[in-house]
Amino acid sequence: MKNNRFVACVLIPSVIFLLIFAVFPVAYGLGISFYDYNPTSSYNEFLGLENYKRLLTDEVFWIAVKNTIIFCVVAVTANIVITLFLAKIISVLPSKGMKTFFRTILFIPCIAPIVGTSMVWKYGMVGTDGGLLNRILGLMGMPPRNWFLTTWQLLAIIIVYTLWADIGYNVVLFTAGIEGVPKEFDEAAAIDGAGPVRRFVSIKLPLMSRTFAFVAIMTMANYFQMFAQFQVFAPDGGRSNSAMVLTNYIYKTSFSSYDMGYASAVAAALFMIVFIVAMIQNKMMHADWSYE
Amino acid sequence: MKKKKNVYKKHHIVIIAFLTVFSLIMMYPMAWMLMTSFKSNADIQINKTKFFPEKWTIEGYRTAFEKAPIAQWFINSILVVIVVTAAVIITSTLIGYVFAKYEFKGKKVLFVLLLATMMVPPQVTMIPRYLMIQEMHLFNTIGALIVPGLISAFSIYMARQFIADVPDSLCEAAKIDGAGPFRIYWSVILPNIKPAIGSIGIFTAMMNWNDYLNPLLMLNDMEKMTLPLGLVIFDTQRVADMSATMAAASMMMMPMIIIFVVFQKQFVKGMTMSGIK
Repeated sequence: MKNNRFVACVLIPSVIFLLIFAVFPVAYGLGISFYDYNPTSSYNEFLGLENYKRLLTDEVFWIAVKNTIIFCVVAVTANIVITLFLAKIISVLPSKGMKTFFRTILFIPCIAPIVGTSMVWKYGMVGTDGGLLNRILGLMGMPPRNWFLTTWQLLAIIIVYTLWADIGYNVVLFTAGIEGVPKEFDEAAAIDGAGPVRRFVSIKLPLMSRTFAFVAIMTMANYFQMFAQFQVFAPDGGRSNSAMVLTNYIYKTSFSSYDMGYASAVAAALFMIVFIVAMIQNKMMHADWSYE
Repeated sequence: MKKKKNVYKKHHIVIIAFLTVFSLIMMYPMAWMLMTSFKSNADIQINKTKFFPEKWTIEGYRTAFEKAPIAQWFINSILVVIVVTAAVIITSTLIGYVFAKYEFKGKKVLFVLLLATMMVPPQVTMIPRYLMIQEMHLFNTIGALIVPGLISAFSIYMARQFIADVPDSLCEAAKIDGAGPFRIYWSVILPNIKPAIGSIGIFTAMMNWNDYLNPLLMLNDMEKMTLPLGLVIFDTQRVADMSATMAAASMMMMPMIIIFVVFQKQFVKGMTMSGIK
């Protein structure tokens, strides 16, 4: 259909809105990254590429890059393996009510805000005094530990927490994907003598590649942005920055030390990393994201 | 034949047993939160290994209400969620409709630009957005959460995908009958994408109810905060008061969880539709 007046009436205000709130901030942030920017000072010196040079020698920045990548790779891989497995065994169950029941239970943590559940974990699971983790250690005859002072263990705990908080989503998406594959393919392969695991890997997985690509890309994009749980578990980045990630580092640099110019350079780096990862994934998965 | 049936059942029992244990583990943190919220602080200190409260008490809930403006946080959260969700449903379906059903110059470029804005993580733009909100004099007001949320690129994308599936012939027929573009939107498009509207609404409401980053950046005063930010502030101010902290956390989470359990069919349907699409 054609109706330029109507199109203009809808699109012009929306485009202006998106330019202000979505496009302009990217440019603005990039601009700030060339300055020694502090909102409280009256004069902000132009530094050119100085902030980016500083990135290269900033140890904390590289730790944050490493932790962000470790967090994403480990958590996304674990998430997909676990959720595929759970979705598969749930889809095998004979009764519909039972499927719904387990899916609902697994989804409940996704409904709750991450800050809230992280706080529950902080005290109830990993708390030094009476946390479940230390009680289990106690049962095995080991002394309690302060997990917030550990190094890699804290990051591992945050990964486990994130999986707990987030697997419900992908279980739901994958069960729908598995159920969307016609039964005939599966039965044909079974007649040919393929076992259940073989059938799952060679028949179901390729046939649900669209779901798989969608889930992998969304989960990865999502995990790069994880912030709230790091704020709760390790607001300062943990012991010797062992749980410092880029999002938290941007926040800390800009709103604790008000070094917004440098923080914007870190943000630009995060943007680059997310962009590169999205490109790689896009190539690998042949996901049809583009305009039809 | 009979034997085969038996083998099947066995393997189901194993799965059910496994899923039951797994579900119990998944539920433990939530159950711990609820139980702790009904304990007194002395009870928490003395009976560290006990799961159930020695004596059930709503002391924690009372403290939470007395020491923090929880009622105000609720009102703020609900206000943001209702206004933003209503706005996003209208803007995303309207803009999605234009992209799905109208031909105009620069359509492709605009749509790609729209998709590109979806790719930018909110943390990348948090500094400029914070500065802009200050410039606009929205800082420390509920408007700082509402105004930037009125249009959502992701929701437009979703709406467009669904509206594209509404047959063109329906729109053409309405046009021949003399319906204007807005009339077609209202009486042809909207009634045909009700499930999509539901899932866009659910997504938007959940995201805004749970949002922590934006309130953290944009709000300063206790009375202005939404629930997730309020909870964190409450926790830092009352470190030793586990019972009240968990009571506050329970009050924040339980409404959403109950709504979810009641409407879980619609939730799951909406989610999978957006996912498979």
